[in-house]
Amino acid sequence: MTSTIFEKSQKDQHAYSLPKESIEWGIFELEGIYKRQFPIPLPEVSEIDLTRHLIGLSRRNVGIDNIFYPLGSCTMKLNPRVNELVAQMSSFAKTHPLAPDNTVQGNLRVIHELIAFLADLTGMTGGTMLPNAGAQGEFIGIMLIDAYHKQRGDSARKEFLVPDSAHGTNPATVAMAGFEIKVLKTDVHGDIDLADLASKVSEKTAGLMLTNPNTLGLFSPNILEITKMVHDKGGLLYYDGANLNPILTLAKPGEMGFDVMHINLHKTFSTPHGGGGPGSGPVLCNEKLTPFLPLPKVVKNGNVYETIWEDAKSIGHISSFHGNFGIYLRAYVYARLHGLFGLRRIAKNAVLNANYLKFHLSKLFTVPFSQACMHEFVLQADRFLSVGIKGNDIAKRLLDYGVHAPTVYFPQIIKECFLIEPTESESKDTLDKFIEILKKIVKECEETPDLIKTAPHNMPVSRLDEVYAAKNPVLIDPAVKK
Amino acid sequence: MDFVSNQDVQIKEMLRSIGVDSIEALFTSIPPSLFHNKPLNDDGLSEAESLTLFEQIGKENTFSQFDSYLGGGAYQHYIPALVGAITSRSEFLTAYTPYQAEISQGLLQVTFEFQSAIAALTGLDAANASVYDGASACAEAVLMALRVHKDRKCIAVSSGLNPLYKAVIEQYLAGFEIEIVPLEKSKDRTDIACVIAQSPNFFGVIEDMPGLTTEAHAKGALFIACGNPLAYGLLIPPGEYGADIAVGDCQPLGLNLNFGGPYAGYMACKSELIRQLPGRIVGQTVDSKGQKGFVLTLQAREQHIRREKATSNICTNQALAALAALVTMLWYGPVGLNKLALTNYSRAHYLSCVLENLPGFSVLHSHFNEFTLKLPCKVEIAEAHFRKHNIEPGIALNRFYPEMDQHLLVAVTELKSLEQLKKYAIVAGKL
Repeated sequence: MTSTIFEKSQKDQHAYSLPKESIEWGIFELEGIYKRQFPIPLPEVSEIDLTRHLIGLSRRNVGIDNIFYPLGSCTMKLNPRVNELVAQMSSFAKTHPLAPDNTVQGNLRVIHELIAFLADLTGMTGGTMLPNAGAQGEFIGIMLIDAYHKQRGDSARKEFLVPDSAHGTNPATVAMAGFEIKVLKTDVHGDIDLADLASKVSEKTAGLMLTNPNTLGLFSPNILEITKMVHDKGGLLYYDGANLNPILTLAKPGEMGFDVMHINLHKTFSTPHGGGGPGSGPVLCNEKLTPFLPLPKVVKNGNVYETIWEDAKSIGHISSFHGNFGIYLRAYVYARLHGLFGLRRIAKNAVLNANYLKFHLSKLFTVPFSQACMHEFVLQADRFLSVGIKGNDIAKRLLDYGVHAPTVYFPQIIKECFLIEPTESESKDTLDKFIEILKKIVKECEETPDLIKTAPHNMPVSRLDEVYAAKNPVLIDPAVKK
Repeated sequence: MDFVSNQDVQIKEMLRSIGVDSIEALFTSIPPSLFHNKPLNDDGLSEAESLTLFEQIGKENTFSQFDSYLGGGAYQHYIPALVGAITSRSEFLTAYTPYQAEISQGLLQVTFEFQSAIAALTGLDAANASVYDGASACAEAVLMALRVHKDRKCIAVSSGLNPLYKAVIEQYLAGFEIEIVPLEKSKDRTDIACVIAQSPNFFGVIEDMPGLTTEAHAKGALFIACGNPLAYGLLIPPGEYGADIAVGDCQPLGLNLNFGGPYAGYMACKSELIRQLPGRIVGQTVDSKGQKGFVLTLQAREQHIRREKATSNICTNQALAALAALVTMLWYGPVGLNKLALTNYSRAHYLSCVLENLPGFSVLHSHFNEFTLKLPCKVEIAEAHFRKHNIEPGIALNRFYPEMDQHLLVAVTELKSLEQLKKYAIVAGKL
């Protein structure tokens, strides 16, 4: 058990250093009712104790630099350190978001060139770097579709179609934007049930949100038919780009019939996940939607880049300034390191690695869809349910063997689901070791099921009680309230 | 360069092992009309070449040649050296969201400590693990209030709220029939779900937040306090005057300007509102042996469980940026944060007092580390004059308020020396 930093507080100890004050400054003191009356209940710690505390906590955590991390849908690939070097250059890091355009031409160039690069890559015509994450990109995409329909006087479109296999953000975004959701069924091949789509798409349909390859790791062979069915009824198509990695340079959402999409740069373009953010979710779209893109926009006049802060057609502002510049700058470094040539190698090797794992793991667990997968695939870890071993138990046991667990229980339509995504970064040797570990675990399930049910055993803590945490919420250190 | 591990020898072995002739054969589900496989020329760069390229692009930014007084929600403060040392640790930098709690105790605990530190600073009962930025924190707080008051279809916004934050609130509400009224015109309204005000406000002025809270509560509305977290080193925190929700941007706490991001929005609230908080929240729990540990909690609010019924579509927090803010808060500690706030306050007041004594200049009082300066001339003339002396003198307020065409918003932090401020005043005196 590790104490919190609040429990380590020692009177008057501190780490800070501040410039000295001098009488020349004059004496300015805030007085009166707006002044803080009580000291801030933060801990008092010296720099060495603070450093040890934080480094100690880092050792109770793991990232892709530490272990194999086949977390499906999250694209846990190598985060090249050269990206970090560029992002830390003070010529970028110390620029103010409201600096005059002529003093930040380099930044504006990055934004302009990156939008052009991503639009070309995806078969779109324009875009915005503003969204701070994929979910915010989705929100902007839906607002763009809404603006398009409204501008045409087509205001009866209140429904969005979302497959039952979609990422949870899709239905949540649609609801946040004020639309009703029609859920589409998945057929036995893992694709959208076309009959179900035909019965639900109508003149009320604002659009369809789709991931392709979908969350089962399958590319829809019917994609052209699907996008045509929606377009024929006047709806637009949103592409959730969370799974773009396997089709980089090989297929373009714009050519599949999609009108707007986002890319999770923290997945496909290797910006570090940082323990859950910051991300970056740029939106790309075709000419139907570019007039409505959010503000500010960056344009190029001759050799000069300019920022546009006002535009009557635009949907308006979505984040404080220019989005997560420091993150998409890293993504642009990654894009230039690879070029289209390198991105294609990424896509192909991501797909090969996933199919290699799928082939070998299908000997251990049920694979619900037999066709070749893209960058990820689903397994049903339900083989030992009869002896009380759930998918989650197996996932916890994987931690003991020094690998991160796959995504569990997502997509929700697959029983005891494991979603496994190895990424192109991993070597055959790493994949072979993972296969061997799962073989051992299967043997343990047969021979010592209790060992699995009570896993993990080699972690800093044993199985944590999530139900207790939700029923008795302790969300801040008790020392704060004393 | 592509960072792919496997080379031809392994690729061949793998293809043989799974009984497929070529990688392309794995792509047959893509309709041939959509599949691009014509050979490409190698257009990638080496690491060294990429660094040269980006150094060159960086040089196209000339901003660093100016002594900048820009603020308006983003400030150049000192960033403790420890911040980079911690946020560059692989275990934090390259981890995903801590879904597997037992292997992610470090990240979960620092997030719990971040929540605790934000609660400590704002004086409220709970906080989430952060949202995208100050603007989205404001918008999410408004949505919280609208969930609490489902029957109320109106919100009141103070004219002192950062105009970009207000624009984002409007965007988040665009899909719903919600009326946004200026706080000043909301006196007779009885259907207001919440009042949102900022202090120090966009113009730098310290507002009467306790008074505004009392008025909001008298209408049965929630009060949302937006504020620069550093100011709470000196100013009465929202929890002490009864605000229901506190929001703002952590940028002043150890985050680089980064041309606008990544930053981290913070959200804190009273305990009765925690189930309405959006985003990630870490809670303390016990393991099967009774040891203390941490997990993501109250997930029944979230999109990956609740889908369209979630409190928000938000999926990420700004974990690494929140970690930077935590390290900064701990490095300064309670005494250091108070002193840092006071240093900011003093230096800004030194400059505002000197400028105020110049003929034709005036200053909006009372302010924290940023103030609105009225000039004796059009702001464009002043900007051009200052820039000749390599000073970026502040934000021209007519950018947001066309009628304020003689006004600058000037930010002064602890990084400004006496010499710099004296130079500013001398240059101003020549206007």
